[in-house]
Amino acid sequence: MTLPKITTTLPYEDFAVETDRTWVDWIHDADDPKKNHLKPEALDDLLVLDVSEANIGGLFCSSILSEFGADVVRIEPPEGDLARKFTPFGYLHKGTGLGYLVEGRNKFHITLNLKKPEGQEAFRRLAAQADVVIESFKPGVMDEYGLSYRHLREINPRLIYCSIYTYGHFGPEAGCGKPDYDICDQARSGVMAVTGEPQEQDQPKPWNVPTKEGNWMGWYAGGAWGAFGILSALHYRHITGEGQMVDVAPPEAELRFADYHVQYYHAFKELRGIIGAYDSAVFPYTIIKTKDGFSFIAGFSDVNWEGLTNIMKSPELKDRFPTIFDRLNKENQPLIHQELENWSANYTCDEILEMVQDYVINRRGPGTVATAKMTDIKETFEDEAWWERGVFDKGTDPYYGDVAFQAPVWKMTLTPGRVKWLCRPIGADNEYIFLRYLGVGKEKLKEWQKQNIV
Amino acid sequence: MSREDYLAWTNQEFDASKIFSKPEALKGIRVLELATLILGPATPDYLGEYGAEVIKVELPGAGDTMRSVTPYGKFWKNQSLGQLPQNHNKFHLALDVRTSVGAEIFRRLAQRCDVVVENLRAGTMDRWGIGYQQLKEVNPGIIYIALNGFGQWGAYSVGRASYDAVAQTVSGLLATTGFPGRLPLKTGVFIGDYFGAMLGSVSVLSALHYRNRTGKGQFIEFSQGEGLMRLLDWSWIYYYMEKYNRPMTGNRDLAVCPSDVFICKDGPVALAAARDDEFKGLCQAMGKPEVAEDPRFADLLIRLKDENSVALLDIIKDWAKDKTVAEVDRLGSEYGFASSPILSAKDQYESAHFRARATVFEFEDPMYGKMVEVSSPAKLSKTPGRLKWTNKPVGLDNEFVLRKFLGLRTYQIEALAEKKIIGKWVENPPGRKPPDDWDGKAGIVM
Repeated sequence: MTLPKITTTLPYEDFAVETDRTWVDWIHDADDPKKNHLKPEALDDLLVLDVSEANIGGLFCSSILSEFGADVVRIEPPEGDLARKFTPFGYLHKGTGLGYLVEGRNKFHITLNLKKPEGQEAFRRLAAQADVVIESFKPGVMDEYGLSYRHLREINPRLIYCSIYTYGHFGPEAGCGKPDYDICDQARSGVMAVTGEPQEQDQPKPWNVPTKEGNWMGWYAGGAWGAFGILSALHYRHITGEGQMVDVAPPEAELRFADYHVQYYHAFKELRGIIGAYDSAVFPYTIIKTKDGFSFIAGFSDVNWEGLTNIMKSPELKDRFPTIFDRLNKENQPLIHQELENWSANYTCDEILEMVQDYVINRRGPGTVATAKMTDIKETFEDEAWWERGVFDKGTDPYYGDVAFQAPVWKMTLTPGRVKWLCRPIGADNEYIFLRYLGVGKEKLKEWQKQNIV
Repeated sequence: MSREDYLAWTNQEFDASKIFSKPEALKGIRVLELATLILGPATPDYLGEYGAEVIKVELPGAGDTMRSVTPYGKFWKNQSLGQLPQNHNKFHLALDVRTSVGAEIFRRLAQRCDVVVENLRAGTMDRWGIGYQQLKEVNPGIIYIALNGFGQWGAYSVGRASYDAVAQTVSGLLATTGFPGRLPLKTGVFIGDYFGAMLGSVSVLSALHYRNRTGKGQFIEFSQGEGLMRLLDWSWIYYYMEKYNRPMTGNRDLAVCPSDVFICKDGPVALAAARDDEFKGLCQAMGKPEVAEDPRFADLLIRLKDENSVALLDIIKDWAKDKTVAEVDRLGSEYGFASSPILSAKDQYESAHFRARATVFEFEDPMYGKMVEVSSPAKLSKTPGRLKWTNKPVGLDNEFVLRKFLGLRTYQIEALAEKKIIGKWVENPPGRKPPDDWDGKAGIVM
């Protein structure tokens, strides 16, 4: 007997039916985030324990895994993770800070006192069943609890154990005792040393210092490399059955994103310094002030520079700075930048975008020029185009109510990531997780509570 | 067991001198790359550092545009420095995929690969007959990732050129980086590219996990602007809830306090202490234990209130100005708060710590000699990442790749070269050819 083919769509699944199957139509249909919930999840066979503390890197690492479907158990101390307080001006939403809230996605949030032997034993029993452990303590802390990788591998050789810490768990500075914060991760990455406004007066101003990126870029870099290491180790485990330890230092994670600076130092024993709107390897490739804000504009190669000077209606600039060497010259960069701003002061960001697009799309001359209007948080968030792309999402969280947040960044035809719930309060999933994995019922849990184990 | 004992164990477990005595995590995974600049090539590079075999396809002659990008126009041994960080451990094939024969060679290579990476504008590969739809016909298990500025579809995906800084500009990163009232700051590195490629490779690995479970491949798309938006932590939710339009706040962290950069006698130092015991330690280190008792600073949530946080940062500022960076850093270790000088590439290059962790990685390239580059930040105890060779001249591995993977004979390879379907480097523009002292052999596999 053949089963009837089920073709019912639910009332809210009014997907556009495309008839002209160009690539763009085909792929829009095939990876539209609106259909994510219809598709399977890549990592839904995994159990992950995230025992990181006061560390957004650890949280982002497990967010990546939980977006792809892994069961992630967030383990906090009984009073809650300090990261729940990492929030602008101390702002709380139903008891949880915003930094934690956006990285609590799809996770089960439980508490466990690892300082108590009973807590350690419970963790050990969870780890025996887990695929991945993520922690962010200073080296030696988990070891003291009897819960470091060298202990856990004895009871679970398939375990992948990921540590995230500014100085890492080995190397001469690993034991320095300093905690992990994003500002120091950024400071040690080499990125801050080249980000900032160069000093142009005799006396330095407060802003003439190496400057961090506005977000927690160091922590996020560490978390991303942690997920990369874990997933690579999972592949190796798939082949061999063996687990291993993954150690990530967030400054090194971000250093891997710091261009060619180490190579440049090796080759020429030279440094770039903070560059502001200038660039050492591509120019013009810069931020300019316009009539109503700031724009990025680039026309670096000879032909693109010609395009840009055509758009500016200043062909004499092309002859004044004819080669990439003239344009990369440290003395010339401020001159070129000034010329660009003299021009851009007369136009709004949108007018510049329009002129550039008109030139490029209608091929009014040689070269391709790139420009973009700087949008702030408000403008970016309110741009419908990003919502259409599924960059942001909002919905009703069972506990936190009406929330909006950044969605997973990938569109995938088969196993896209997704957000099912945003976060959970402290210890909200104790009952479910301890029952499911340790067979601990309500009565026992109450006892644990009295003994400050959970 | 003591911390020293634990560190002795980890130092042994991760001993950098043993890297080449250990297996590779992604051995057996083959990646076909058709990409230029950074976002595209860095994705397979990260995989290649952990053992994937990467075939980089460039156009004959000028090859990857990044071969022109080098600081102040200074080429090193005929290489652009901009090309190096995302082109390690690869085989370099120069193939004109715009020809029908070139496209067929590409399809046959894709048949032998697990992953395809490209960063062209949406639909270009499709037009050339080597898009996802065509490749999955010849290799249904293929994992295909397309990375670019604005994605495969949507209002911005058509007709706009994108670079890393475009992504920074449209994502809100630019608008939140810098000092209040000053110029918004471009991050001094191509962060949207390198970080974007990292996010891209993470999705490839998750798809690989799914393929290991089911045998099924898939298509993945990634946009670098959207990638940066994902990383802007609490910006979006705070705007949604309170209409707070996050401004530039210099080095001050609005959500961790204290966390800022302070100016010492001899330069800037980064410092943070959010946990109560760390904060108490900092106050003791400053010789001001009473600050920890001040009700304005009693708890992190209270310290974070704007006026309290400004007052506290001023106290620290006032203290730090008479200290040296080294003094503050030493006190950090002693009293358990976070502190660090702002490291430059020189500091990192010379750091015993970064070297011992093989993040600053020294190796001998067959063509360029002693190299020092940045390697593989995820340290895997059993299957560490590693650098074997750096970027190569355009088309250096043509013969090897075509012979090894497609079994082509010498006369066939010669015919392809004659028809300019494959080719090698050109003299100009600079950045394509081997170093001047090249012996004509070094670096060639076969």
